[in-house]
Amino acid sequence: MLKLIRLEWKKNNIGKYIRNTLIMTVILSLLLVGMAGELEAVETVQSYGTSMTNAAIDLFMNMAYIIFTGVMLSSFIVGAYEKRTMHLMFSYPINRKKILLSKMAAVWIFNFVAMVISKLFVYMLLILLKPFLGISAAGIAFGALSFWLDIILGSAVMVSISYIALPVGLLMKSSKAAIVTAVIITFLTQGNIGTATLVNNIPFYAFLIILAAWAVFLSIHRVEVRDLP
Amino acid sequence: MSNIIQTYQLTKTIDGKEIVKDVNLHVKKGEIYGFLGPNGAGKTTVMKMITNLWKPTAGTVALFGEELTPTSYEVLKRMGSVIEFPCFYDHMSGKENLQLHCEYMGYYMPDSVDKTLAMLGLSEAAKKSVKKYSLGMKQRLGIARAILCRPELLVLDEPTNGLDPAGMKQIRDLLQMLCTEYGMTILISSHILSEVESIADTIGVIHHGMMRKEISMKEISEMNTEYIALDVEDIKKAAYVLAEQMNLNNFKVFDAHNIRIYDDKITTMELSKVLTENEVDICAIGRKSERLEDYFLKLTEETV
Repeated sequence: MLKLIRLEWKKNNIGKYIRNTLIMTVILSLLLVGMAGELEAVETVQSYGTSMTNAAIDLFMNMAYIIFTGVMLSSFIVGAYEKRTMHLMFSYPINRKKILLSKMAAVWIFNFVAMVISKLFVYMLLILLKPFLGISAAGIAFGALSFWLDIILGSAVMVSISYIALPVGLLMKSSKAAIVTAVIITFLTQGNIGTATLVNNIPFYAFLIILAAWAVFLSIHRVEVRDLP
Repeated sequence: MSNIIQTYQLTKTIDGKEIVKDVNLHVKKGEIYGFLGPNGAGKTTVMKMITNLWKPTAGTVALFGEELTPTSYEVLKRMGSVIEFPCFYDHMSGKENLQLHCEYMGYYMPDSVDKTLAMLGLSEAAKKSVKKYSLGMKQRLGIARAILCRPELLVLDEPTNGLDPAGMKQIRDLLQMLCTEYGMTILISSHILSEVESIADTIGVIHHGMMRKEISMKEISEMNTEYIALDVEDIKKAAYVLAEQMNLNNFKVFDAHNIRIYDDKITTMELSKVLTENEVDICAIGRKSERLEDYFLKLTEETV
């Protein structure tokens, strides 16, 4: 499985995605650093349950990585069907479910690691620039277990819920459909109407995780007996 | 000799339409099998089912004596294939694409990639990214990938599409070499008969999704298919003379000027003498032999 994941990264030009996540992280960091002073002045918003700086970091990172995961899924899997490289993959003496799972794992691992690193990068940048920005950065506590749990669990959940977009792209045989679905998921999970928001709504996220698991199941279900388009 | 590929009543129905019906195909070990048929006859569908990309609606495929099931993965190690047009990872070079193929196939033989690229005349382009390849080069790279792991069975669907005549000859020579030197069994489909005629040991003709005939090239050449081709001005008069004056029944009027006479006893000299005596103007006359093309046309026209 590890070898298959490594080959997926190799043939899908993972260097391109590393470059793109770096650019994305730098842009988001600049944006968040620029906003930090103003955000600190706003009181903690009850619905977010955290400081506005932390909420903004979560919001932007979550949005970016849900969409980015959707883009990678569409390229690694839906695009492979579209470009017919899946024909080649299915001509190999490898279990088809394993092939698809390795593609999904390749996307998941990359985005999870990238998201954790991106978040840490922003947090460290804010700590470093704290004296210049005039902020307290009280919510950034590298020593607290809850801080790490929040980053790790949060990243895992956000990357995972993007998989809901996968069967949509496969069913519609369209990479664009998968990306659009990822964008819709982003608005649904990260948006708010007035003060109403589903951010931090645990039952809702639990439901989305179950939905994502079902999406993964649907994507590999009966793959051995399905004709390739 | 045992069959490497055998299909039993192979049928494929898509949206209620029978694309392939009751196809029984037999490919013997070590032979080149030419799978012929006009465009849309069902060749690719059969090949997709043989390579397990599509599943039969009815019937079965047996490869190396074992029935192909949806989870028959091990048998794929013994096969190389190019179905329709070959696809690559365009940002990678030709060589990298082949190296990747080896990784997936679990085939590690030093120099095999370089040797195979050289076989297909792609050594110079080996490090070029595939997106810069021409259609013909991609086709050759596809064949290179199919033969790279020295499979026992090679399934090639119209492999010379996009190749120039020199490239087509190169592929024909290569396939013959693979068959004789490596003992590969090759199933090759084509709608260009001359492409298959010179290399195939057996041909199978499919038309409207049904196998019309399976026959060895030896049997075709042994058939008495010599004929006299006659080009005349007045076809009706010529036909009358042949039937009434010469008592010939075994002839066929092809069009407004051409007749074929399938009678090995009569000579062209005798024929021209009788026709001239009966004032039939002859434009051309000559003895010819029926090629695979004629045989193919006969088989496919019968069902039109």
